[in-house]
Amino acid sequence: MKFLFIWSLVLGLSLYCEAQNLKGKVKEQNGEGIPGVAVAVEGGQGTFTDIDGSFTLNNIKKGDKLTFSFIGYETQEVIIANQTDLQVIMANAANELEEIVVVGYGTQNKKEVTGAVSVISSETIQRINPVRVEQALQGQVAGVNITSQSGSPGSGSTINIRGISTNGDSRPLILVDGNVIEDLSVINPQDIESVNVLKDATAGIYGVRAANGVILIVTKSGRLNTKMKFDLTTYYGVQSTTRKIPVLNATEYALLKNESFTFGGSRPPFRSIEGLGIGTNWQDLIFQNAPIYSLNLGMNGGKKKSKYSAGVSYLDQDGIVGGSSAKFQRITTRGNYTYDFSKKLKVNVTGLYLYTDKNSLLENSLGSVLFNALNMAPTLPVRDSNGSFTLAEGLGNEVINPAAQINDTYNSSQVNKISGTLGVTYNVFKNLEFNSRFQFNHAVVDGQLFSPEVFYGSGKVFNVARSAYTENQSVFQDYTWDNYLTYSTSFGGSHNIKAMIGSSVFKTIGEFASSTGFNIPDNSIGNATLDNVTDVIDNFQNGNNMFDSRLLSYFTRVQYDFKGKYLLSAVLRRDGSTKFGPKNQFGYFPSISAGWNVSDEAFFKNITFVNQLKLRASYGIVGNDRIADYGFVSLLNGEGVYVFNNDLVFGRTIGRLNNPEIQWEEQKTLDIGFDAKFGGNKWNLTMDYFKKRTEKLLLVAEVSGILGASAPGSSPPITNAGTVDNQGLEFQLGYVEQLSKDLSVNASFNATRLVNNVLFVNSEGGFLAGGSFGVGQEPPSRMEVGQSIGYFYGYKTNGIFQTASEVAESSAQQNATPGDLKFVDTNNDGIIDASDRTNIGSPIPDIVMGFNIGFDYKNIDFSCYTFASVGNEIVRNYERNQPLTNFTAYAKDRWTGEGSTNVHPKLSTGTNSNILFSDYFVEDGSYVRVQNVQLGYTVGQNWKNITKCRIYVLVVNPVTLTKYTGYDPSASSGAPIGGGIDQGFYPLPRTYQLGLNLNF
Amino acid sequence: MNTIIKSILLTLVVLLPTSCSDSFVEVKPNDQNSEDYFNTAEEFDLAVVSAYDLLQSTYINVMLGEIASDNTLAGGESSNDAPGIQEIDDMRHTPLNAQLRDIWGWMFAGVNRANYVMEFQNKIDFTGKNVLLAEARFLRAYYYFELVKFFGDVPLTVDKRFLFGDQFTVGRTPKAEVYAQIEQDLIYASANLPAVGKQTGRATKGAAQALLGKAYLFQNKYAEAAEVLEQLITSGPYRLVTDYDNMFESVGENNAESVFEVQYSDKEGAGFGCLQCSEGNVAVGFNGIRNYNGPKYDSGFSFNVPTSGLANAFEPGDIRKRVAILDIEAWAASTGATFVKGYEHTGYYNNKYIARQGDLNTGDANLTNPNNYRAIRFADVLLMAAEANNKKSSADAIKSQAYLNRVRNRAGLSNTTLTGDALTNAIYRERRVELAGEGHRFFDLVRTSKAQESIPNFTVGKHEVFPIPAIEIQLAGNRWTQNPNY
Repeated sequence: MKFLFIWSLVLGLSLYCEAQNLKGKVKEQNGEGIPGVAVAVEGGQGTFTDIDGSFTLNNIKKGDKLTFSFIGYETQEVIIANQTDLQVIMANAANELEEIVVVGYGTQNKKEVTGAVSVISSETIQRINPVRVEQALQGQVAGVNITSQSGSPGSGSTINIRGISTNGDSRPLILVDGNVIEDLSVINPQDIESVNVLKDATAGIYGVRAANGVILIVTKSGRLNTKMKFDLTTYYGVQSTTRKIPVLNATEYALLKNESFTFGGSRPPFRSIEGLGIGTNWQDLIFQNAPIYSLNLGMNGGKKKSKYSAGVSYLDQDGIVGGSSAKFQRITTRGNYTYDFSKKLKVNVTGLYLYTDKNSLLENSLGSVLFNALNMAPTLPVRDSNGSFTLAEGLGNEVINPAAQINDTYNSSQVNKISGTLGVTYNVFKNLEFNSRFQFNHAVVDGQLFSPEVFYGSGKVFNVARSAYTENQSVFQDYTWDNYLTYSTSFGGSHNIKAMIGSSVFKTIGEFASSTGFNIPDNSIGNATLDNVTDVIDNFQNGNNMFDSRLLSYFTRVQYDFKGKYLLSAVLRRDGSTKFGPKNQFGYFPSISAGWNVSDEAFFKNITFVNQLKLRASYGIVGNDRIADYGFVSLLNGEGVYVFNNDLVFGRTIGRLNNPEIQWEEQKTLDIGFDAKFGGNKWNLTMDYFKKRTEKLLLVAEVSGILGASAPGSSPPITNAGTVDNQGLEFQLGYVEQLSKDLSVNASFNATRLVNNVLFVNSEGGFLAGGSFGVGQEPPSRMEVGQSIGYFYGYKTNGIFQTASEVAESSAQQNATPGDLKFVDTNNDGIIDASDRTNIGSPIPDIVMGFNIGFDYKNIDFSCYTFASVGNEIVRNYERNQPLTNFTAYAKDRWTGEGSTNVHPKLSTGTNSNILFSDYFVEDGSYVRVQNVQLGYTVGQNWKNITKCRIYVLVVNPVTLTKYTGYDPSASSGAPIGGGIDQGFYPLPRTYQLGLNLNF
Repeated sequence: MNTIIKSILLTLVVLLPTSCSDSFVEVKPNDQNSEDYFNTAEEFDLAVVSAYDLLQSTYINVMLGEIASDNTLAGGESSNDAPGIQEIDDMRHTPLNAQLRDIWGWMFAGVNRANYVMEFQNKIDFTGKNVLLAEARFLRAYYYFELVKFFGDVPLTVDKRFLFGDQFTVGRTPKAEVYAQIEQDLIYASANLPAVGKQTGRATKGAAQALLGKAYLFQNKYAEAAEVLEQLITSGPYRLVTDYDNMFESVGENNAESVFEVQYSDKEGAGFGCLQCSEGNVAVGFNGIRNYNGPKYDSGFSFNVPTSGLANAFEPGDIRKRVAILDIEAWAASTGATFVKGYEHTGYYNNKYIARQGDLNTGDANLTNPNNYRAIRFADVLLMAAEANNKKSSADAIKSQAYLNRVRNRAGLSNTTLTGDALTNAIYRERRVELAGEGHRFFDLVRTSKAQESIPNFTVGKHEVFPIPAIEIQLAGNRWTQNPNY
């Protein structure tokens, strides 16, 4: 007995005392090994995991504490018990304020950021699965409002960061890996690593280009010491329209037209109604289900000294109007390669080639395809008895057979673009880093427009008597060369300083050529080339066919923090631009921001519910240089064409009148906000108050006619003469929780309240007008002091005149008859005239909101993204109002006699004022739209070479709730003055997609 | 030490792009600077060509010259179509009128382009410079004549453009001074322009003389008018054509009767965004038959429709009636053509200037009709000479009758033997029917004080001139007084 006891003691002791070799593997949540993880043993030794995530440690005893840490992951500690083989799973630290934020010429930890910067990660972008990058921004970032210009394939969106700051070009500065990008359709969203939006004075590091905000996009670059991995995403979808506008069918149309002619004092046009039936439903005819197909293959990986990422993508999208006549095709290939020559020298190269091909139909204008479908008479068949397209006789000069229009439109353009960047990072000595980056773009845009000889009906503006073929070619080239030095140091143990000084040159040139020829043989697209035509005209006869614009900048930034608790950042940039006159060529743009990590304070230790709290504020002066070139010099690029000997002769004459004082628009921007995390880092909350005042807005204000600015090719000078204010509040709340081993949930909500106010417009009358409504009417939109920019200016209505005596009583509107709209005499002068017009709405929303929710349960993942806009108004401008054009369905509610209705006026072909622009045509465009609902199922993991296989179904735009009666409340031309006017917007489609992700 | 040197070197490298220095952002534009121009004869010529351009925008002057009078009604699609034109028809126009603002701006644009050439007239010398300068001065006179006719006293600038800032100091120059400048310009032009221009469409000696005669006539300077018109009639190459039916067709363009013709072409497209840019005759599309389908003619917007008063003013047997007036109902009945009645449909269209088939119909076809505007015809010259000779202090009735009868005989009408006031009235009546639809009627009525009796709602002391556009007064610093009673 005693012997057994001693023997087991000895055994036990030896087991206890024995120092073991510990093997293990560090993995991600999905089972993939993580290389490069630091494994530290308390007391001294440590190692790193290898390419598979495996590690080995010697002399590990029970009770030893091992710490596993790697950037981007939550640090883990394990106390050794009996394991000989340790499996460690590391969780993403995506919610930690250790995120990296790109702030321009450098990065910062989120915790150190003192400005209003929002980051969208690639995971979110993957989830939303957008065709274009802008769709990934909508509803994700407070303060960013995206409006689509059209739902047609390949069309762009307008991005407004914290309101509309100018009546001119309000596009933000967008850089992809430091390279200037103007057209976002060229970026494949799958290639994006992160999108960083600089909303306040933080953007000041970009000086004269920062007033509209800055978006910095970083593409995927691979990771060191990682095995080569592939990911394949492909989907196929079917798109259909989200809405068709109810119009009258043939019988209803004939009945109401008869009534309308009668009221107008003419003979009713339809003698017999029977047999008309439903007639032609033009919208059913031109809307179709259109396919969309996408394939994306990416590859990334890394060796010990290098990392790489590459990708190839293909997208093919037809249009819900016009099918392949509106299609968009995109092919991209990209590569990103980084090599560490030594510990001090790192080189990064990226390249991108893009090809797009887009066919276009006329949209959102008088006579666009949808406009025609709404106004065409349902009593006309698509084709007549001879089989040719029915002519649209008697329907005004613009409405034509939309099916014929689609058939005869040949308008396509192709883009071939190469972009590249080359960056060198050199560590001069320990704390001094030198960066030099060269970025360039070269794009060739080709366009072809063939107008065949065609007759649509008498007097139609679209009739073409002589076939014509136009070819355009535009070449765009630009380069950016940045050089900057960054020095980081600490002193006194708690003071940290990072100082950066640098310079940048930017040059962009473009050259345009365009020729038109006539008489294409056989009137056939097959013969449409410039070799087959006669009378070729050079469309750039007057010059004005190139631009050369440059920017020379010097900048410096100093960032200081005390123990990471008190943060201060100051920036100064000097920009010189070719766009500004010699008197104002250089500008200085300073900004400053400060932050306080309150949660790091001692007094905060007791507040356990709030995990992190940072207060911050920023103020800066930034500029907007998006103005036309050479506004300060009087050039001979006007139009002086006459006819001698029966031929055109081209003279030389002055173009736009010059203003030698011209300079950039200047913005003072203030931001006060806080970021907080609470509830165990499950909740995050950010709120900001912002106020941006943009002064010296560039206006082409009217000038005296004696200066000759209305000559062909001329225009008044551009002067800095306006001020606009944007103030608002941003709110962003997010929630992420791992509820159990199998279930995790995330949700976020953001809202932005914005007030836009114009403070100064130095033009005659104190306003600028823009936009168009109806035919031959005054412009409906204005930029005017005391109102928001682009507000609608028209008559106010107050019901309908029910009886003749009511008309007689209202002395102001003597020419009205019963059934006409009553206008309000707003200035009480006893007559209704143009001075009774007033503010009847604004296209700028009062509040925009985004709400996103998602969960992951075992192998299932679900996400839903919703966006809402409240308080934006839209002008209904797709009704042609000709005697025989069709009506929309609300015409059935028209006034027919006393007491019948007080909303819709009578239908009459006679003269009346009901078609003048009034609030009768302004509708509430508020809407809630579910943008994206996705359900995915991960089929298998780690089967043969495939690490992950996921299939998903996705519905884009499944539901839109709105009172607006038009196609799409979210669409707008995006023009600051004249936006929000609907002439038959091509609606955003609803798409049902089935897709596959494969990682291998 | 080493590290300090390294860091200095690097800072220099960082600032390397400054070797481009601030001059990197001084870029010369690709297009030429207007102040460095006029270095060769060709450059002068190209600038003169551009000064001709604004003649094409006088289509609206021609339309309003008819619509404001008793010759035509505004027409159009409805009473809301081009409200400015509707107003002028009814003599209820205001300083807010859009068409008047266009005329003001377009004519001054022409003045500035002509003055741009004159501003640099002494920069270089070359043979033929006097001809180019004469063309510029002719054009300047043409545009100022239009301005004076429409607005009365207007700001005058001679041999230099109005530049930004001038609008705040210049005043409304009295009409008489503007006319004096017009006379000087046309006298120079008559002396320096050739009898036949080097290209069809260029101003000629005859054109300058005719315009000068007209300018004298408008100022009631009958003796001077008679004298210069006499020279033109006797020594100029112009005559009345016998084939009057084709006078206003494309085969009749630039014929022997055309003293000055504004040239138009259908070879370039045009849009509503810039009507003054169109190389086509916009008035022809505007005057055209609404939604027309049939032979010979093309569609238009049915503006400027002749009244029955005008139709009935032609004497029986007058061959000019069928050339001036198209009876659309009769035409449709006989050819089976169809059309749509526009607003204020009278049954008549201005046959001289409505759209015809056979042109290229370059888009927008309504704006690119190539019909030239016969600005000054020899018939007009004869009638002006007749009037001047009869009204001058030592009236020459014989000569006056002779000229009047030449016009009447060509029209298939008998001679007149009237004298004195009766002869004058006969000349006025003849002007109405000979020049119907050509934009002269309103101004003839005003200068002969016959406007009130002929035009409904015409107010004496007000409507003889049109109001200066209100916004133009504001944009010039609110210093000008408006024309009376507006």
